[in-house]
Amino acid sequence: MSSALEVRDLKASIGDLEILTGLDLVVPFGEVHAIMGPNGSGKSTLSHVLMGNPVYEASGSATIGGVEIMDMTVDERARAGLFEAFQYPTEVPGVTLDDLTEEMAISTPSDDGFEQRTVAASERLGMERFRERAVNVNLSGGEKKRSEMYLLGVANPKVAILDEIDSGLDIDAVREVADMVESLRGPGLGIVVITHYSRILRYMSADRIHVMVGGRVVRSGGPEIAEELEADGYTAYQVAAAG
Amino acid sequence: MTDTPTLGSTDAVWMASRRSAAVERLDDLSMPSEREEIWRYLDLDFDPAFRTAPLTAGSAGSTDAVLEMWHGNTVSVVDGFVVTEGVPTIAEASDEIALVNDDHMFATAFTAYAPGAALLTGDHLGKPLLVDVQNTSDATTFPGVHIAVPRGTEATVIVRLRSTTDAPATVVPTVTADVSDNARLTLTIIQDWNYNTRSLGRAVIELGRDATLVLAEIGLGAKIGRLHLDVNFVGNGSTAKIYGAYFGEDDQTLDYRYFMNHIGMHTRSDMFLKGAVEDEALSVFTGMIRIEETGQKTEAFQTNRNLILSSGASAQSVPNLEILANDVMCGHGSTVGPLDEDQRYYLMSRGLTPESADRLQVRGFFEEVVQQIPDEAIAAWIRERINGKYVAAQEEGRV
Repeated sequence: MSSALEVRDLKASIGDLEILTGLDLVVPFGEVHAIMGPNGSGKSTLSHVLMGNPVYEASGSATIGGVEIMDMTVDERARAGLFEAFQYPTEVPGVTLDDLTEEMAISTPSDDGFEQRTVAASERLGMERFRERAVNVNLSGGEKKRSEMYLLGVANPKVAILDEIDSGLDIDAVREVADMVESLRGPGLGIVVITHYSRILRYMSADRIHVMVGGRVVRSGGPEIAEELEADGYTAYQVAAAG
Repeated sequence: MTDTPTLGSTDAVWMASRRSAAVERLDDLSMPSEREEIWRYLDLDFDPAFRTAPLTAGSAGSTDAVLEMWHGNTVSVVDGFVVTEGVPTIAEASDEIALVNDDHMFATAFTAYAPGAALLTGDHLGKPLLVDVQNTSDATTFPGVHIAVPRGTEATVIVRLRSTTDAPATVVPTVTADVSDNARLTLTIIQDWNYNTRSLGRAVIELGRDATLVLAEIGLGAKIGRLHLDVNFVGNGSTAKIYGAYFGEDDQTLDYRYFMNHIGMHTRSDMFLKGAVEDEALSVFTGMIRIEETGQKTEAFQTNRNLILSSGASAQSVPNLEILANDVMCGHGSTVGPLDEDQRYYLMSRGLTPESADRLQVRGFFEEVVQQIPDEAIAAWIRERINGKYVAAQEEGRV
């Protein structure tokens, strides 16, 4: 069976600046992987490039459930089963979450489960009072993350990439987000958590941790890597990469 | 319906003399020049054909979506004539009502040829009122509405200006309002002319002490859709919120000229206009906050945001301040630009096609204004009309 996400030799640049330098990553269905790395290592670029953000020039391969997505437009990738929970989700004034989920359902006519998932995700995340409000407008950091997790629940993707999902949150909110990630875990979904700090990994279990430095994955392993990084930081990796 | 009214037949003495003076003066006036700042964005190369002003009302057009959904009172004005029984005109009022004091050709022609603005007073304003202003032919017409909100009362009025045929026409609609002390007027003006109509609109609203105005103007179309608005904050503590939404298509010119004149103390104005233009349309916002020496402690703001949806379309946004008092707070902002790339990307990342992402963004753009319309059903209708224009532009490949 194919993996949820399989990335091979992914390269990306903006102008002359090469950010991803040949990245490989495999996330099987049902697993939660964490990508950790210092600032500037290309973690967020990875999520944007997978989503198809047009500011990057990209090459290489990425498949969702075995289907190549690199030649798809942003919306085609989403409909193929990729979901990015953004670090800074864009405000869409005048458009409510309900407006958005309605359009999501219309955009994917082959999937008739939207209404049911909207109700379920809304209950699970306590989104009732947010659904009539404009998307991401005047929300706190924690509320924005919650809103993204809600849309993730509605979209029902095969791969979810959660970009810096713990940034800007206080400790209670980090714990809440970790719980939400845990509750998403399921056989039809591969989850990638991108994070700078190991803090969130105390409250959730990652099956594998990948260390990213200089635009590629330099080490992969079990949860013990998070503890090492907490103690020693990224310096050793950065020195090695620079060497 | 009343007996068929004819032009000037019911004029009060003051009005009869005003009218004949205007008829005489009109002989000496010519089309204003586009070199004057006030007319600079308008193409005035046409025959205003004032003498085609009808002597009686044409036959009223059939009912339409807006009228059918309306549950309040309705007053009809056809080709400038008030045809609803029990509604007098200002021309027959015993005391002079004249809030418009312009001396250019269109204003003078209005005085000369307007049968008389519908005079809406406390008698008519007990419940929400729709004024259905129809233009039925290619004649030049002068419809008017005057709203007098009595002291301490509240009124909700929707003025809907429409063509019932495709005939090219010139219209000089004039809406005036006198909002007395402690009164509140919620006014919506919908310009919904056919694309052959040139509308040279004028509005003057005077606010008494602690009076409140909430005005929303929706521009749905005209060949020329000009609205020149003055709000006079005469009474201390008077406030106004002015919202606008307009969508220009084809080679339309939608021209808003909004003047906030702060005379009293502790007054407050807030203008917030949003527009979109496609194809070869032009929109103009000329905003003016003028604070007199007497207008201390005034707070006044103006914001105008424009979406340019086609390369041939354009928007002019010109906010102005003229401040003669020294203890005031003012702000202004204007933007002109294309749809937001970040919003499009975000919505597409949720699985929306670029077309539906843009539709949603356009709808959201106008929502802040549309939600100010005091009637849910009419707000929904306007939402649909604006969205329909955008969808048509998408389908026909203009945006």
